[in-house]
Amino acid sequence: MLVEEKTILTNKINSKQQPVVEIRHLKKSFGNNVVLDDFSIELKKGENLVVLGRSGSGKSVLIKCIIGLLKPDAGTIDVLGYDMLNLDEDELDKVRAKIGFLFQSNALYDSMTVRENLEFPLRRSWIAINQQQIDEMVLEALTNVDLAHTINMMPVELSGGMRKRIALARTLILKPDIILYDEPTTGLDPITGKEIDELIVAIQKKYNTASFIITHDINCVRLVADRVAVLMDGHCYAEGTFDELQKSTDSKVKQFFE
Amino acid sequence: MAKSTISNVKLGVFVTSGLAFLIFLLYMIGKKQNMFGSNFILKARFSNTQGLMQGGNVRFSGIEAGTVKAVNMINDTVIEVEMIVKSKMKRFIPKNAIASISTDGLMGDKLVNIIPVKEPAAFVDENDILTGKSTVNIADMLPRLQSTNNDVAIIAESLKRTVQQINNSTALWKILNDNTLPESLRQSLKNVHQTTIKAGEIVNDVQQMVAGVKQGNGSLGTILKDTTLAVNLNKALLKIQSVGDSADTLTAKINNMVQLIQDEVENGKGTANALLRDSVLVNKINNSMDNVEKGTQSFNENMEALKHTFLLKGYFRKQQKSKQSTLSNKVTLK
Amino acid sequence: MELHQNWKAFFAEAGDISRFTSRFFVQGAKPRQEVAEFFRQCFIIGYKSLPLIGLTGFIMGLVLTMQIRPTMVSYGVQSQIPAMVGIAIVREIGPVITALIFAGKIGSSIGAELGSMKVTEQIDAMEVSGTNPYKYLVVTRVLACTLMLPVLVMLSDAISLYGSYLGVNIRGRTSFAFFFKVVFNNLDFSDVIPAFLKSFFFGFAVGVIGCYKGYNSNKGTEGVGYSANSAVVLSSVIVFIIDLIAVQITDILGLN
Repeated sequence: MLVEEKTILTNKINSKQQPVVEIRHLKKSFGNNVVLDDFSIELKKGENLVVLGRSGSGKSVLIKCIIGLLKPDAGTIDVLGYDMLNLDEDELDKVRAKIGFLFQSNALYDSMTVRENLEFPLRRSWIAINQQQIDEMVLEALTNVDLAHTINMMPVELSGGMRKRIALARTLILKPDIILYDEPTTGLDPITGKEIDELIVAIQKKYNTASFIITHDINCVRLVADRVAVLMDGHCYAEGTFDELQKSTDSKVKQFFE
Repeated sequence: MAKSTISNVKLGVFVTSGLAFLIFLLYMIGKKQNMFGSNFILKARFSNTQGLMQGGNVRFSGIEAGTVKAVNMINDTVIEVEMIVKSKMKRFIPKNAIASISTDGLMGDKLVNIIPVKEPAAFVDENDILTGKSTVNIADMLPRLQSTNNDVAIIAESLKRTVQQINNSTALWKILNDNTLPESLRQSLKNVHQTTIKAGEIVNDVQQMVAGVKQGNGSLGTILKDTTLAVNLNKALLKIQSVGDSADTLTAKINNMVQLIQDEVENGKGTANALLRDSVLVNKINNSMDNVEKGTQSFNENMEALKHTFLLKGYFRKQQKSKQSTLSNKVTLK
Repeated sequence: MELHQNWKAFFAEAGDISRFTSRFFVQGAKPRQEVAEFFRQCFIIGYKSLPLIGLTGFIMGLVLTMQIRPTMVSYGVQSQIPAMVGIAIVREIGPVITALIFAGKIGSSIGAELGSMKVTEQIDAMEVSGTNPYKYLVVTRVLACTLMLPVLVMLSDAISLYGSYLGVNIRGRTSFAFFFKVVFNNLDFSDVIPAFLKSFFFGFAVGVIGCYKGYNSNKGTEGVGYSANSAVVLSSVIVFIIDLIAVQITDILGLN
């Protein structure tokens, strides 16, 4: 039932034929360690793309390249029509404002309260917004993740799941077109992890965002993925829906689903 | 927001107090150097400023009055010291006040001391030039002392020779018939007398200096008090004085004798009388000469002792070096 | 071979620090100054360090006076104690001790803070949020260190001199006015100004090294600890090196 729904949705998106992120022949190595080797993939509007891979296979490197935290050695990255590798600082900041990034370690600013954490990207986006609008947006983002009561707490006072949700709220506050999730469920218990997964799906539905989800948690993949790409040996080893890959007979793909 | 306001106030207080202390510090130093407030310029000329430097203190009768602004060479012997003096001192400093350079402080800082003299005079105006008095310098005085000593020695030598001539029986006739003897004796005495006066002057100078030093004018005073140098110096001075004294008595005695001889020659009592007195006279002269010689010797010893005191070592070493260098120059010239 | 490697690592780090420092000037000159963060850092770096620096300065002045006293008395120049202590504090001890304590407190805290921010991806998060983290974190901190240390040095000087005044009064008796009169009489612009100027460089060095070590921290808690530790060690050494250079320059300029 669920799968059918997703297939329909995927088809609908595919029909739009509108890639928001386009990665071509990406190469990245650290010293002699080649992490990405001729990696190509597309992300379409409103799609949840899961990149599945083992630890150290270069999944995080991939999304860090997309947002410009790392510079690839070769290849092109196109985000919303911008060539990410040839932008000056101001343009890069503008594109980045349209991309949300959920860090594996949440990256909440320890020295600030939850409110200040959420205000930070708002104030930084250099959109002329008055204090009232900022307050409204902060509250809206917190309500989205059900944590409006934590607004004046410090990040250290929160549990792991709460912190993840606050981080998600911070990522969402600028209403990005694209969200990059770096292992969103890692380090959380299965129940909390499921909550986060549901949140990801809810966000996708509410804002019609396109998402890159980096994970090795198969439950997460099952719940959120419209499409799955398997990253292995630096390139896209297999691609398809969750069901397609689950039925795959390839031993390397199979090991993720066992 | 409230939190940030409070921290702003604290930050403001913090920064302001830090800067306030800096400004206060700079102001106090500036005040010391008379950069603020009303001042006027006074000048004084010296032949030797003894290392006086810009920023040195200026005192009027021991009271802080200002600082030295500049030390300029006017020509090869005159140095003009420009001083910034507080305006309120203007109505205390008379035009005929004397500026001298003295030493102050642990490090021997030089300062200008303006001292009023007894004679009344109008008060100074801007850019007035005060009379500069260069104080006596031990190093400068020692050569003078030595030359005096040499003079005394030479005169003593010549006197002795005269006396020996008198004593010599073969020369007796010559002496008896020679009317020029009293004359030459008199000449010698005059020389001795002059030397004595000269020695006396130097002794006074040195004593004045030592007294000044002892009064604690500067670091030299403290050092001298604790060392035996002062004692040595005093002893030396006493000896010099005693040489002078004995030279004086000698002069008086010889004078007497000369008078006697002359009287007797003039009174026609002839040489016989003189001969009768011969032994007494010669003995007397001989004694005196011995005294002079002893005095000269001990004076020389004292000079030697002075040379070895640490304060003056540098001076004598320099002198010796210059002697050596002239010697070696001569050698190389040859 | 190992020695060769060590030298190479040394020069690599020196080059890295130089580039990091030059980035400060390039980024600092660009518009969009992080004014609010700068003032926040001034408050933390300056105001919050005052109690510690005041305490050490006070003890320094007191102890120095009591240590110097017997010698000065034996030379009969106890009246010059304020002058000697004053010059020592204003010229050398105030700036250097303050800079060292500052390096210990602020260098380590910046190293640890930026190190943990680096490790927990907060620096990346900032960059992603459209904020130049170098500017937001490094420029503000370095600038705050550069401007706050001279203020701290001045206050520390004042507190040290007060400590010295109390130190004199433990054994002898001197009026407050006379003590400071002697101190100021023996101070000169050439004592205060070079010391004040060099404290800017001390502050700059502590800020840059702290930020550099934190910004380039390795992953893991050990990396953070190492950043904090090496920030203190390196900035303390650099404070002394700057002091050495400063004394040479003042000497050449004849300011002593």
